[in-house]
Amino acid sequence: MKRISLASRLALLFAGCTAVVSLLAGVLFSQASEKHFIELDQQLLDSKLMALRSALQDADTPALFAQRVAALTDELSHQPDLSVRINAADGQRWFDSSPSIPAQLPATPGLHSLQNAGTNYRVYNAPLNPGKPGSAQLVLMLDITHHQHFLQRMQHLIWLTVGLSAVATALLGAWAARSGLRPLRRMTEVASRVRAHSLTQRLPQEQMPAELAELAQAFNAMFSRLDDAFQRLSAFSADIAHELRTPLSNLLTQTQVILTHPRPLEDYREALHSNLEELQWMAQLVNDMLYLAKADHGLLNPRREPLALANEVDALLEFFAPLAEDAQVNLLRDGSASTAGDRSMLRRAFSNLLDNAVRFTPPGGEVRVRISENTQGVTLSVENTGSGIPQGLLPKLFDRFYRVDPARHEGSSEHAGLGLAITQSIVRAHGGRIFCESQPGWTRFVIELPKGG
Amino acid sequence: MKLLIVEDQPKTGQYLRQGLTEAGFNTELVADGTTGQHLALTGDYDLLILDVMLPGRTGWQILQAVRSAGLEIPVLFLTARDAVEDRVHGLELGADDYLVKPFAFSELLARVRSLLRRGSSTLQETSLHLADLRLDLIRRRVERSNQRIDLTAKEFALLEMLLRRQGEVLPKSLIASQVWDMNFDSDTNIIEVAIRRLRLKIDDGFPNKLIHTVRGMGYVLEERFS
Repeated sequence: MKRISLASRLALLFAGCTAVVSLLAGVLFSQASEKHFIELDQQLLDSKLMALRSALQDADTPALFAQRVAALTDELSHQPDLSVRINAADGQRWFDSSPSIPAQLPATPGLHSLQNAGTNYRVYNAPLNPGKPGSAQLVLMLDITHHQHFLQRMQHLIWLTVGLSAVATALLGAWAARSGLRPLRRMTEVASRVRAHSLTQRLPQEQMPAELAELAQAFNAMFSRLDDAFQRLSAFSADIAHELRTPLSNLLTQTQVILTHPRPLEDYREALHSNLEELQWMAQLVNDMLYLAKADHGLLNPRREPLALANEVDALLEFFAPLAEDAQVNLLRDGSASTAGDRSMLRRAFSNLLDNAVRFTPPGGEVRVRISENTQGVTLSVENTGSGIPQGLLPKLFDRFYRVDPARHEGSSEHAGLGLAITQSIVRAHGGRIFCESQPGWTRFVIELPKGG
Repeated sequence: MKLLIVEDQPKTGQYLRQGLTEAGFNTELVADGTTGQHLALTGDYDLLILDVMLPGRTGWQILQAVRSAGLEIPVLFLTARDAVEDRVHGLELGADDYLVKPFAFSELLARVRSLLRRGSSTLQETSLHLADLRLDLIRRRVERSNQRIDLTAKEFALLEMLLRRQGEVLPKSLIASQVWDMNFDSDTNIIEVAIRRLRLKIDDGFPNKLIHTVRGMGYVLEERFS
């Protein structure tokens, strides 16, 4: 189906509206003039009737009437547009002023319209002597061709006006619509210029008309989000390459060096062990990235099992106990709440927070998990004592591969910097949010989960 | 113990066979689903290790054929796909366990042993021991060379697992799962720390060490004579 452009559509609508309005005006006008003409004819015929009645006074019988025919004919000869027929009460025809009068005429009294042999007439029936019973009947026929001509001309004029005004408004409307839609075309131009590397293009929101400003704003917001997502994706790909490059180059170098010369068995064993550590680190990285990719595609579908958060946290604190004792950090829990969620996913999320907290707490410090519940949902916070995180770094903490400590990948136990990103993905998959607050002396990660998971 | 591996990637298959054979299993390897299904139905195996995507018959189809033939052999799936639906589908069809590639061989070996052990009747032991280490399951006491050793509840559980599976390399993930019920990927070094603390109590001060680290694979409890 061929689609009509917005401008043509508007122009056609304008033209249609104008045509309807002028047609309506024309119809009303021609009806009013017709009515007016009927009134004029009535008046004219009334005066003729009066004149005829007075001329034919007392001509009640055919004999009396015959005496007045000459005068009547004379009288009528001055009025070429008027014909007269006189019938007796019994229907016998006394007089026809013209032979062109049709044999059959409307019989009821009053005014009628009639067309005969291409000419329009107004026919008026009335008794000759209204008071007397058995009076002869007068039929007056007035030629109204000139009225009809006028009305026809009027109608032509009306049609012409309708047509011309429709065409004129269509053209004007098309022009108006085109110039009115110019901002939209500008939008199209900007949108069509957008490429992956030019996501910084923005629509001039202030110059847009009010109706389009909102759309332009939505467009700009979309561009911003796209730009942001694209930047992240680019950074993510670059980071993946960087993260994998170090272990890969270690593997390559070490394997090549080991194979260059024959060595004692123990050296080969050592090299393989070292390779194994690198490989395990890489496998973990790939698994974590797959997990995040699944989260990005909305494939992380947490189960909704009822969970007592206090029990889950206690189990985790027991798991972390050796680590905490080793680091001389106190682990504490306050409060309790229940929610619905995926046990192993949430355990993973909390465990990442606890792991971070224990690692960044100086000996003698404490890590405190607080659980609380309100009408909106449940809140779980993991707070640790320590030097705190500078405010400027807080928003970046959940970025992939972000590390507060920039020294990367030192030894196999070092984290890839995906832990907090994974935690965030899990919390979001549960419909919650996570943020971090920090002041010199403490750092707190807060997870808010909606009621019932 | 007779195992059948159906895996179409030659390198993976070869290493699996080598690893499992060296671990003491009688292992057969086939690379296509049709032969795999035939062998699974006719050979007398104790465990099947199936890849999901196979030429001929998929791993799932083989599993279905095995189960509808009324065979109760434990089946372990290997797959590169980690979709939850896949996992659920496999378990619904009657798979006993599931490993997602890339996996560690030590993890596979531990799971294979778990599955094979499941069938055999476990004796109700009252105590476990290795060399001069004794663990009394009833009184929950641990002694080494007749010296009483105090362990926390989790340390006791950890040592019990090591003793029950002495000689086996236990990956960290399996230890976290069995002792602490933590079933998620984690890169914390908690298990290292826990083992180190257990070692301080069990091995420190004794000339022959019992807890050994197998680098990159896990931990093993065994007596080694140098």
